[in-house]
Amino acid sequence: MQHTATTFDPIALSILWSRLISIVDEAGTTLQRTSFSTVTRESNDFAVVLMDKKGRSIAQSSVSVPSFLGVLPILTKALLKDYFPEETWKEGDVVMTNDPWLCAGHKPDIGIVSPIFYKKSLIGFIGTIAHSPDMGGQLWGAGTRDLYEEGLMVPPTKLMSEGVPNDTLFNILEQNVRAAEQTVGDIRAQVAANDQGIKSLMKLMEENELTDLQDLSDAVINASEKAMREALSAAPDGSYHYEYDTDGDGRGVGCHFEITITIKGDEIVADYTGTSGAHYMSINAVLNYAFAYTAYPIKCAFSPDVPNNDGSFYPITVTAPKGCLVNAQKPSPLGARNVTGNMLHSVVFGALAKAVPDQVQADCGSACWCIVLNGEHKGKEFVEYFFLNGGYGARPTMDGEHVLSFPTNVANVPIEVLETDVAVLVTEKSLLPNSAGSGRYRGGLGQRFSFKNIGEKPINVSMVAEKTVTASKGVLGGEDGQMGSVKIVPEREFPSKGLGKLHPGEELILTLPGGAGYGDPKKRDKILIEEDKLLGYIS
Amino acid sequence: MKLGIDIGGTFTDFVLFDNNSNQLYFAKTLTTYPDPTVGIFNGVKELEDKFGFPVKDMEGIVHGTTLVTNAVIERKGAKTAFITTKGFEDVLEIGREMRYDIYDIFLTMPKPLVPRNLRMGVSERVDIEGNVITPLDEGTLESLATTLKNSGIEAVGVCLLNSFANTSHEKALGEYLSENVPDMYYSLSSEIMPEIREYERSSATAMNAYVQPITDKYLKDFETQLRKQGFEGNINIMISSGKLTTIDGARKSPIHLLESGPAGGAMAGVFFGKHLQEENLLCFDMGGTTAKACVIYEGKPEITNHFEAGRVKRFKKGSGLPVRIPVIDLIEIGAGGGSIARVNNIGLLTVGPDSASSTPGPACYNLGGEDPTVTDADLVLGYLNADYFLGGEMKLSVQAARKAIETKLAKPMGISIEEAAMGVHRIVNENMANAARVHVLEKGMDPRHFNMIGFGGAGPVHSFGVAKLLNTKRLIIPVGAGVTSAIGFLVSPVASEKIHSHISELETLDWKEVNRFLSDMEDDGYEFLSQSGIAKKDATVQRVVEMRYYGQGHEITIDLPEGQLSEKDITEIQERFIKEYEFRYNRSIEGMRMEMVTWRVVVQGPIPEMNVEQFSTGVGGDESYKGTRKVYFEETGYIDCPVYNRYALKPDEKFDGPAIIEETESTTVIGINTTIQVDSDKNILIDLHQ
Repeated sequence: MQHTATTFDPIALSILWSRLISIVDEAGTTLQRTSFSTVTRESNDFAVVLMDKKGRSIAQSSVSVPSFLGVLPILTKALLKDYFPEETWKEGDVVMTNDPWLCAGHKPDIGIVSPIFYKKSLIGFIGTIAHSPDMGGQLWGAGTRDLYEEGLMVPPTKLMSEGVPNDTLFNILEQNVRAAEQTVGDIRAQVAANDQGIKSLMKLMEENELTDLQDLSDAVINASEKAMREALSAAPDGSYHYEYDTDGDGRGVGCHFEITITIKGDEIVADYTGTSGAHYMSINAVLNYAFAYTAYPIKCAFSPDVPNNDGSFYPITVTAPKGCLVNAQKPSPLGARNVTGNMLHSVVFGALAKAVPDQVQADCGSACWCIVLNGEHKGKEFVEYFFLNGGYGARPTMDGEHVLSFPTNVANVPIEVLETDVAVLVTEKSLLPNSAGSGRYRGGLGQRFSFKNIGEKPINVSMVAEKTVTASKGVLGGEDGQMGSVKIVPEREFPSKGLGKLHPGEELILTLPGGAGYGDPKKRDKILIEEDKLLGYIS
Repeated sequence: MKLGIDIGGTFTDFVLFDNNSNQLYFAKTLTTYPDPTVGIFNGVKELEDKFGFPVKDMEGIVHGTTLVTNAVIERKGAKTAFITTKGFEDVLEIGREMRYDIYDIFLTMPKPLVPRNLRMGVSERVDIEGNVITPLDEGTLESLATTLKNSGIEAVGVCLLNSFANTSHEKALGEYLSENVPDMYYSLSSEIMPEIREYERSSATAMNAYVQPITDKYLKDFETQLRKQGFEGNINIMISSGKLTTIDGARKSPIHLLESGPAGGAMAGVFFGKHLQEENLLCFDMGGTTAKACVIYEGKPEITNHFEAGRVKRFKKGSGLPVRIPVIDLIEIGAGGGSIARVNNIGLLTVGPDSASSTPGPACYNLGGEDPTVTDADLVLGYLNADYFLGGEMKLSVQAARKAIETKLAKPMGISIEEAAMGVHRIVNENMANAARVHVLEKGMDPRHFNMIGFGGAGPVHSFGVAKLLNTKRLIIPVGAGVTSAIGFLVSPVASEKIHSHISELETLDWKEVNRFLSDMEDDGYEFLSQSGIAKKDATVQRVVEMRYYGQGHEITIDLPEGQLSEKDITEIQERFIKEYEFRYNRSIEGMRMEMVTWRVVVQGPIPEMNVEQFSTGVGGDESYKGTRKVYFEETGYIDCPVYNRYALKPDEKFDGPAIIEETESTTVIGINTTIQVDSDKNILIDLHQ
């Protein structure tokens, strides 16, 4: 990539750059505080991205989760190329789509893109992507058989044309999704967030007497690109291969990952050749999404401090054979693709440990477990999403934290909130001693979480659990973490992925995996071992 | 006569108001460690020696301190145990399972205040509606009490699941403990924070227990020593919401003291705003390591219930321990006089959030600091007077400041020292303005509709730059800019704040139940005020509910209609909610159900009158104009800028900027194209013509 030199000095650029980030954060604040979706507002499962008129990202909201890294610029570039060429955009237009191949890999993630006009010319775009409460189809989970069971798909369509809402589209949405007022409410919140961003940007343009965004866009993209390239240059050139297995359905049909990371000069290529084919369960990832979760650990390892934009990703290439688990094609089911995306950091760090051992962490007890409860409580239907996390992996200089979300970043639902919404009684939430992998530094502990159906009707449970038949992998001699389990009392078969029923009086007992260790356990400091014993982390 | 005493990290500030002469007096002493009461009584003596006011003549004393905040940050609280429902002992450690930094794989989470081996479970369970599912197993309490005694525990926090819905098990535990382990302090979650969300409630309860023994001892000493000196008046303590509590109230719920100092600053903003007929103000307070901003809207400070203490990373939201108490909604930014400037790995100039603090301090202190800081930049630009820093007590080295800026900033960027210094000044202003702008927008307000009031040691130096960035029309630099929090203490009302969780959709509310608990909370409030000698007829009551659209997670606060509530009020409440929602978010959702979550009743005494006619300030002199010095402004470069002595400014004096106005604790910097007006109280009013 070649960019022209810019007219901004280091001070002006520093100031304008922080203003751009502030603008997307202001928009993110608007979205988060007005959305209904639990994952959007509690778990930051959204992103706001400001782009130039070529669709290159200039600034991204700072708290967004990794799943949306790089997605909006890819979407916007595709919109410009295949759907709405540059000259067709009008002020007040808004385009919506949830096409998983254009957006973030499953239908609940809705992308909303608005053009930005300044003094009547198109200067850029602002986009938001957020997890909607529902898109119709089956109850969300890993159990869908194909894409069509996963609800409504909206190809890139004008949600507003020059400020006039597309009533037909709103109507179709309202007729196809559960809790329509919430889903449509969230879409409106996304539009409002875009509008807020545009408003703030106008002020920045006026105050700084800018005529367009191109010079500024070049300058920040250049700087981020340069930082990433410099960090990559410092790493030893070479090809690093790693293999890794995960549960799949947990009943014999697993997933196999292979990665070859090649660092050459200031470029990095991650290739997934050898990875297993698309799975029959809905845990397949599209390439956009696999890119996001591959670029994320690379960013953490090499350039964690520099703000994200298109430039951060220019030196990164991700390839995968068409039709495999991380480059799924139609009509592979995608609903719970997060469980696959959430494992890619393990694969990437596993390979990078051979190149830059001081810049990676051991495997976490992720993926985050997602549980959806659906049934009737006090005469009303409920759909409650909640999340549980395993232990964090050990680091080169310190232990892993107990029960902490990674690589996604989702909060748990408070027990008392869960009991308000659903007819369950939580019977335990505790750290799970001895669940972490030992090492010079040990992983973080997993947890035990159990609850009972105290209602009169069965509760449908959509489980997306992971690492119940595979373990988090230790690094450089560190030990693996303990596997998780899904049990029901009275005892019977209960799927770790897919749909099950929890009958009145039955109790579901979930144990979440611990994080893996880093380095030789024999080298662990005795004082740390004593402390772990005193606190009951190990026995 | 009333006295405000504010203990900060470095200084203890005193403000005395004499209501006979309507005059304010200021004093400042060094904060003393480990016993801060030494510093207090040094100051008390100074007030008597200098102005002739002995403490025994005071009618009231209002006090605020950083004691509680520091105990949490430095982990210097008591050895504390924690009792909860069996099976949930780790809730306090697990927290919300979320990281506060997405890209830092080396992050650490805050350690719980009570370690795992001191957290104990009791067999009991109450459901979400308050029904007892498992009765409290009283048979195990004896061994529990023995364990507590034998482990040398000083305080215990008790938080049982769903205890906001049924307090009986927690109360029974509390009674058992007070009878059987009488020397131990205990905090019950149903008294500290009776709100849904077990982790946040546990966290607040554990923290309250953790700081209770030291706060209790400190306040006892403080009171005893005051009484010894013949003081017979009321003692009130400043709490985080900008209200005052009693000594007893503070001893019971010390976590409410977490933000007492900053809350005082905001209340001073309210006071000056009222005085100057400014209803909507942005308060801007900048010190050595941090800047704080808060919004005063229609004469009232904005209050939030989201607060964190003891952050692992000071300016990172989510890296601390949550405490859901009412606090004045302040944002804290890593921008102060000591903030370090550097050229980062991509060649850009950045400032903060880390600070050179007081040792080694900025390079210009000449105490070994080599990193260029905001103070160094301000000195190079001519904003600070090297010979008149802290009134001349500290000599600054321009040469050292220039050298640090030259080596670390100017040379690497290939620009002049002045340009680099101006860059530091601008960037730190920009950081503060950005944070303030997001903060105001989060509230659905427009920053341009606010005038600004600036104080703190570095506030008057930077307020002008920040005000320009925020398109502020008028900037106020009040008198006593170095002791503002203590001024705020004297103009804050005594109040009781009660909370109650009762979650229900608006349409199906049990109004009888609502009226019952609202009136109980109100009665508790009157009872509390009577302890400070405030009669029911002088009290005002504010009843609010936090509500949301059904399914949302953020609540907004709505004033409840007056009197007994019933179905007839539903429409009014809906309208108020929609109005507030539209104000905050510019939209509302038609036909959406609404849900009530937390109910709050504030019973408040009158706001103390303080008709200040005169401020006793530093050494005056006849002539305010001190001459000129070279000062660098962005638009002009170095110019000969007029310098004034604030103490000699005449009421109603008026002149044009640029100007530098010096006083002991700070310097007011005013750029070009401005008009400066001194009011009758020597507040400086700056018109920015924008």
